[in-house]
Amino acid sequence: MATTSRHNQSVHEYPLVTHSLTKRFGDLLAVDNLTLSVGTEIFGLVGPNGSGKTTTVLMLTTLLDPDSGDATICGYDIRKNPRRVRESISYVPQDMAVDVRLSGRENVIMFAELYGVKNPVERSNEVLKILDLLDRADERAKVYSGGMRRRLELAQALVHNPKILFLDEPTVGLDVAARKKIWEHIRTLRNDGMTVFVTTHYMDEADRYCDRVAIIDHGRIQAVDTPARLKGIISQDIISVSISGKFTGIDVPGVSFAHQEEDTLIFHCENGAAALPLVKDALSDAGNQVLSMSVRQPSLDDVFLHLVGPGEDKSPFKSSTFRNMMGKR
Amino acid sequence: MNPILVYCKRDLVRWFRGKWGFIAAMAMPAAWLIFVGLALPIRFTEHYIDFVTPGILAMTVLSASLAGGGLLILDRMLGFFNKFLALPPPRESILFGKILVITIRGVIQSTIILIFAFLLGARLYSLTQLIGTYIILFIFGALLSAAATTIAIYLDDHDQYAAANAMISMPLFFTSSAMMPYDVMPAWLEPIARVNPLSFAIDGIRILQTGEIPVTQISVLSLLCIGVVTLAIHVFRKVKI
Repeated sequence: MATTSRHNQSVHEYPLVTHSLTKRFGDLLAVDNLTLSVGTEIFGLVGPNGSGKTTTVLMLTTLLDPDSGDATICGYDIRKNPRRVRESISYVPQDMAVDVRLSGRENVIMFAELYGVKNPVERSNEVLKILDLLDRADERAKVYSGGMRRRLELAQALVHNPKILFLDEPTVGLDVAARKKIWEHIRTLRNDGMTVFVTTHYMDEADRYCDRVAIIDHGRIQAVDTPARLKGIISQDIISVSISGKFTGIDVPGVSFAHQEEDTLIFHCENGAAALPLVKDALSDAGNQVLSMSVRQPSLDDVFLHLVGPGEDKSPFKSSTFRNMMGKR
Repeated sequence: MNPILVYCKRDLVRWFRGKWGFIAAMAMPAAWLIFVGLALPIRFTEHYIDFVTPGILAMTVLSASLAGGGLLILDRMLGFFNKFLALPPPRESILFGKILVITIRGVIQSTIILIFAFLLGARLYSLTQLIGTYIILFIFGALLSAAATTIAIYLDDHDQYAAANAMISMPLFFTSSAMMPYDVMPAWLEPIARVNPLSFAIDGIRILQTGEIPVTQISVLSLLCIGVVTLAIHVFRKVKI
């Protein structure tokens, strides 16, 4: 009985728990000792392309076996009980796969039947209504816009009331209005008690909509926290300065140099407005001409660059590894 | 609704609504029936179309099955396969759905070819012959579609699948008893033709035409079918993307 009650408690607290989850493709360490606990929240896994986001989702959705480590979804082990895991989740991959020769309604009813939903027709109607697709439900998905197709996929995923929803790059390729709409739907789901695990490489979206964010790079989690606290890691303000001439370094108390992007220098400091003239003078003294300066609040982009550096991946593109990571073989 | 039927219905609806796939799939067997069945200067029989129709029927099922494997390739390329693998129904129901839909497609196409053959002057089949022919075509279709779908799991993309398809279908057809009986074949061809699974289906239908029941052919095809389907189930259960 003791095990049962502990089991229930952990399910209650964290629907998704991973422990040292690791996956290799040949000599590439795609996911490296990933340990996370995700509650009823919008949890964003953010990082650049090829950082291991999709591989993580594929393991959590039972499509890929981890090499080591484990994960439980709603209390079920992803390796020992994959069927139970699949009953508890929904997974929307990034490909936008809807059957264009079927109507919106037929697309959703098909998934309702595959999930074994009791009354597929009524339930499909409900989710189509929730996602604002009801008035065009009987048109072929062929005429749907990108945003509508994504909403149709969400409808398919929601038709069996999953406890955890996995979304891989849900807004990629959509226009601004469509993105906003998708995120608003995701928020509503979270408010209704669903755990949403979402990957994205759009830092601004993660910042705005995720309750907590994990920053991943080269398969390793660099930081996990709320967007506000993550931004607190670096500083109150960011100063960016564009200069001419070679930057050799300046020494201003309370201001630290972060990195250089071509002719633009990025500094972190606590009080940007006060530091601005000091930085300008120091740069002039060092022989640099200041072309423009600005102060802004840090964004998740800055946090990301702070944590992993601006280095672009220079290793050669290996298509077999890439396909593995994209789950396409 | 059973997930197998859901998967099957999806592909059938898509096929019917696609129109061109349906028409294109009919073109080759129909051309064979007309140009080979009626035009070839054959000496060993008076009524070649009666002889060649079973061959064309088996060929229709063969090409329908190999084309059907492409369904899975497309599902994989477009991301449907990943979505289906993450669903609760057992994964082999995806396989059975494909076997069912591909076999139904093959049987529908063979029916049209058969009607076409009768219109071109082939001798009509009795009810027993017709039922026997359908049983053979169905087992044969299940065998080939299970094989094609399993091959499609292992190949990367459409190009490779089309290449594999061409590599399999033509040799299989020409080394079978489709075009000529064993006694007029070159000596080197006969042993190959005798073990070719296509020949078993064709010979079975021909034996039906003589009024006998092709027990050997049906048993061999059934055993092969069970073997290949078992293998395919195994592959589908352990598939990781």
